Amino acid sequence: MDVTQQLADYAAATTTAVLDRPNPIITDAGLLAAFDNTPVDADEYGSNLNPHLLALTLTSTQALISSLFALPTKSTSSGPITLLPTPATLLPREKPLPKPKPLTKWERFAKEKGISHKKKEKHVWDEEKQEWVARWGKDGKNREKEGQWLHEVKAGEDADLDPASTARSDRKARIAKNQKQQAANIAAAANQSSTSTSASASSRGVSTLSQEQKKNLRERRKEELHRSMLLSKTATASLGKYDKAIENEPKVKGVKRKFEANVTPTSGKSEKENALDVLHRLETGVGKVKKSKKGGEGDEGGLNVRKAVRFQGKVDRVAGGGAGGKKGGKRK
Amino acid sequence: MRPLTEEETKAVFEKLANYIGKNLVHLIDRDEDDAYCFRLHKDRVYYLPLPMLHYATSVARPNLISLGTCFGKFSKTGKFKLGITCLDWLAKYAKYKVWIKPSGELPFLYGNHVAKAHLGRITEDTPEHQGVVVYNMADVPLGFGVTARSTIDTRKLDPTGIIVFHQADVGEFLRDEDTMF
Repeated sequence: MDVTQQLADYAAATTTAVLDRPNPIITDAGLLAAFDNTPVDADEYGSNLNPHLLALTLTSTQALISSLFALPTKSTSSGPITLLPTPATLLPREKPLPKPKPLTKWERFAKEKGISHKKKEKHVWDEEKQEWVARWGKDGKNREKEGQWLHEVKAGEDADLDPASTARSDRKARIAKNQKQQAANIAAAANQSSTSTSASASSRGVSTLSQEQKKNLRERRKEELHRSMLLSKTATASLGKYDKAIENEPKVKGVKRKFEANVTPTSGKSEKENALDVLHRLETGVGKVKKSKKGGEGDEGGLNVRKAVRFQGKVDRVAGGGAGGKKGGKRK
Repeated sequence: MRPLTEEETKAVFEKLANYIGKNLVHLIDRDEDDAYCFRLHKDRVYYLPLPMLHYATSVARPNLISLGTCFGKFSKTGKFKLGITCLDWLAKYAKYKVWIKPSGELPFLYGNHVAKAHLGRITEDTPEHQGVVVYNMADVPLGFGVTARSTIDTRKLDPTGIIVFHQADVGEFLRDEDTMF
């Protein structure tokens, strides 16, 4: 009995022929992807969809696999392996581009005036020590004056003046000024972003706040709402006493003050440890707001000499006409 | 009577640290058999040994008038004011001291500030606005106050200039006898 005819028929029925494509199939071995950019054959697609799709897939897969076999292989104990090349296809970015940082006041000014930024190096060359030293921070160059053993006293300077402490207070004032400016910049940025978000949220329904911030805002609003609801509930003639109660509403209880046990319990942190904790925090100044001196200059920090001089100069100029201005500027 | 809350503890320690600085740790961290604690009773802060605390727990709150050493009291706005009754502890651990001449003792005990003319001795390197304990020349503590000038600046001062601002003196035991405890 000859069954070759039947076998051939069966094979023809179960296998799918590789289609020949006018455009070669593009493969990206790094991504294990194949792209077929030949236009879809509308007749085939309409009449027998599934076999056609299968044929298309087979064609692409075969192209991909043949491209994989063209790669150099290395024989190991577990069979030949090949290293995939780096992907050639560029994939789009997963997340949107980060928003540009809000400009600081100085950056805005510099941009307006066209001043280009030159980054200062963190270390400067010290001629005396013959080595690189930090510009600021630990053993910084900016503290040099505070540590040196000899100071030049200019003519007309007060004999009581301590140059080291003056230099220190000047430096501290500079730090305080910078911190103040930094805080103002942060506040301005926050202000701007909040106004812009509220505006954009109302117009487009999109906000720049992070998920976390939104959640916090929502929580806060919720708490506020709850609180005002509780308050308004009792705002009746009887302070809520004779109001009709809503069914199944939980009773609002006042918050009671709670103190530690008078005689220390055996478990938990002892009173002594708590007290020592408080003491440690006091000594290290955790949670303390650093006092910054008002104004910048002067030993006391209270008087801004530069500003006072400028003000006096202005007053003199107004009083005595143009000539008095310079004289007033020199007055202290 | 109850233990101090954290804010209260902070207020008390800040005031005490003005006078005894780091020695404050000796008031808190004591031996097991000589342990002391701070307690608040009717707005006053008391410092008492632990055994005394155990006795005092059996006294009802309205009946309890005072216990241990009164260190001072909290104002209604939550500020803490040191009282003269804590002088013994302050004198024991004081960091900066001022001794006054016999001629200056009586004016100070009547509640006046310490003038330079009455100053006998002062701890070296006392800064400005530092809490100090005032002694007479026989090393008996008389009260405490705050320095008006640092030790170096006192030299330039004229004899009537104020050196120590009066805060509390032992004369209060007579003057404020009614409201003290």
